[in-house]
Amino acid sequence: MNLQLLFRRIWNLAGAVSVRTKILGIILGLVALLGTGVTIQARYALRATMTAQLEEQSISVARDLAARSTDPILLNDLLGLHDLLEETIANNPNIRYAFLVDSRGQVIAHTFEGGFPLDLIYLNSVQSGEHHDTALIQTKEGFVWDTAVPILDGKVGMARIGLSAASMQATLSALTAQLLLTTLLVSLTGVLVAVLLTWILTRPIISLAHATQAVARGDFSPRVPRWANDEIGDLAEAFNQMTEQLSRTDELRKERETLRRQLLEKVITTQEDERRRIARELHDSTSQNLTSLIVGLRMMETHCAQCAAQTKATDLRQVASKTLDEVHDLSMRLRPRVLDDLGLAAALERLVSEWQARNKIPVDVAMQLGERLPGEVETAIYRIVQETLTNIARHAQAKSASILVERRGAVVRTIVEDDGVGFDVDTNHGERHLGLLGMRERAELLNGRLTIESSTEHGTCIFIEIPLQGEKTRVAA
Amino acid sequence: MKKILLLLIMVLLVSCSPLAQTEVAGNVDLNDLQPLPTPAGHEVVPLRVAVAAVISPEGTVQSYSPFLTYLEEKLNRPVELVQRRTYLEVNDLIEHGEVDIAFVCTSAYVEGHDTFGMELLVAPQVNGKTTYNSLLIVPSLSSAQSMADLRGKVFAFTDPISLSGRVYPTYLVHELGSTPEEYFARTFFTYSHDEALRAVASGVADGAAVDSLVYEFAMERDPSLAGKVRVIHRSPDFGIPPVVISPLARPQLKVDLQSLLLGMANDPNAQAALASIGVESFVLIEDNAYDGVRELLGVIPIPAAP
Repeated sequence: MNLQLLFRRIWNLAGAVSVRTKILGIILGLVALLGTGVTIQARYALRATMTAQLEEQSISVARDLAARSTDPILLNDLLGLHDLLEETIANNPNIRYAFLVDSRGQVIAHTFEGGFPLDLIYLNSVQSGEHHDTALIQTKEGFVWDTAVPILDGKVGMARIGLSAASMQATLSALTAQLLLTTLLVSLTGVLVAVLLTWILTRPIISLAHATQAVARGDFSPRVPRWANDEIGDLAEAFNQMTEQLSRTDELRKERETLRRQLLEKVITTQEDERRRIARELHDSTSQNLTSLIVGLRMMETHCAQCAAQTKATDLRQVASKTLDEVHDLSMRLRPRVLDDLGLAAALERLVSEWQARNKIPVDVAMQLGERLPGEVETAIYRIVQETLTNIARHAQAKSASILVERRGAVVRTIVEDDGVGFDVDTNHGERHLGLLGMRERAELLNGRLTIESSTEHGTCIFIEIPLQGEKTRVAA
Repeated sequence: MKKILLLLIMVLLVSCSPLAQTEVAGNVDLNDLQPLPTPAGHEVVPLRVAVAAVISPEGTVQSYSPFLTYLEEKLNRPVELVQRRTYLEVNDLIEHGEVDIAFVCTSAYVEGHDTFGMELLVAPQVNGKTTYNSLLIVPSLSSAQSMADLRGKVFAFTDPISLSGRVYPTYLVHELGSTPEEYFARTFFTYSHDEALRAVASGVADGAAVDSLVYEFAMERDPSLAGKVRVIHRSPDFGIPPVVISPLARPQLKVDLQSLLLGMANDPNAQAALASIGVESFVLIEDNAYDGVRELLGVIPIPAAP
């Protein structure tokens, strides 16, 4: 559990740092690990070797001293013993001290000046018959190997020498320092290598990231250079293929979109033209004919008061009048002439007043338009408001509605609100959805935007924004 | 990561600490220097026995150890062996009573007797005799047949006052009408007979004169020497190197030691001690046994004590 936690922490730590730090960490970690390992191993091996060597040296020097001191001791040649000890010390810099003990345990010669550390005598001894005896003694100057060797099998006494481990420690410290310094230098080199490696590694990754961001913005033009023939190089190649593919698909999609827009525009324009034609036809021809019929029937009524058919004529005139009204209405709905002749404001007022009269729902209209808008914009706004009002009448069960049309700089903003039951905006099926889609298409054809907000408490609000100079950039019908 | 690093550092530190595997025998301050205690005096005054350097000091210890131990047991007092490099130094010790008895060289005895009254205690008997000879030896490959063939060679003397080792060969050169300094290319002193033997055996010297007793004893101990040296001349018999007693020693000690040494031949426990020094028995000897030596020394005087 604890281990798992530790692992997670390490993972988090490793995940949080950049690739640069990771590579640096890998290289420095490896160098440090290797350096430390080598240092430990080298120290261990050297120490073992040096310890063995020093011990051997101490034994050989002590035995040599014992052999050479036999005669001088037996002959009581104290000067000779002194010279011998001095010589032993001079020839072996590692030797801290040397002294000779006679068979009664008396120190007869030593290399200390001005006295003798008495405790030293009892720290090591050797029995007759033994080859030597080595003991490790701790002193304030460090460790000392004390070797005792019997002289003439102990009959004469014993030779003692102390070999200081200080030189070994110094050698070991020097080695350690040297190895650690090497590790440090290699680490520094490692940092340089890591920086270079990081640059080599991250350069393609960074360019890939930039290119990806560009693609996300919709710019398919950037191509990532293939820096090296490695996995990242393969990735760059794959990325480039992908962007190319995406770019082609995007072009195709744009082409289709343009085509679709053109088609839609054509449909809408054709529809409007057709409606206008039918409306004009109804108004100019059918209405005239009906009016003539009504006038004729009225004359018939007046002139032949005695006619039996008078009542019949009155009925016919009434039917004709009703038909005329219906034709007017139909013509109005198809394409109000007032929209072409007097503009959006007048058309909308007319539309609203007729709608109010029909549906008995009060509508608050506010319009600030100034001069007339381009024909397409007027038509689009008119149709959208018309469709919205139809929807309110059919579905909203609203008690009131409001319409705001205003021109703000280069934008015409239209808001249609009701206090009805509202609906789920995200539903993308059904007749109403199709109507909303048509409204949105109209707005977007003019580079405009249509937003719908709806909730059960607050009814529905449709918000349309259409730019005026945008028409220049749009695709001509 | 940090834990691993910590572990590594700890391992490093442990490996830095010295000699974890060897047990430390103790702690001492090498700079805490104190005067060495004066050796405690002997509770019982030991019998001090000097042995002249007929053989090397080391060989002397090995040879005389059983004998000295025997004396210790018999006298019930410690016995101390004293050695000096030269015969004259030993004579000096005897003269001043610094040793009680001594095994001295024949010429040293004559010198000591005639200068300060060194007294004879007993004489060792070897091969049934109380005499010995000086043997002129050369390396076995040498073609020399007599002292006459050693002219211009390197010659090893034992001790300046040794009868067999210096006086007799000097006498031989004298007979040839020369002095060693003129006769030999080079001479040197080995201060003991076994060393002289070794000098010839190893070819360092072309010739040497050695004590016949030491020679035989050495041959017995190291038979390989026989193939390396050859005897080309044997001197007339000389009085054997005696055991002497200091003129300052108590008369009772002389009596006690004489009876002890003379009785050794009959003591089964003493045989090993006697064999170790190459002696069959100790016998009484008179000073006139050394008159022949005195004659020789009249011709070739020993150098005065320094």
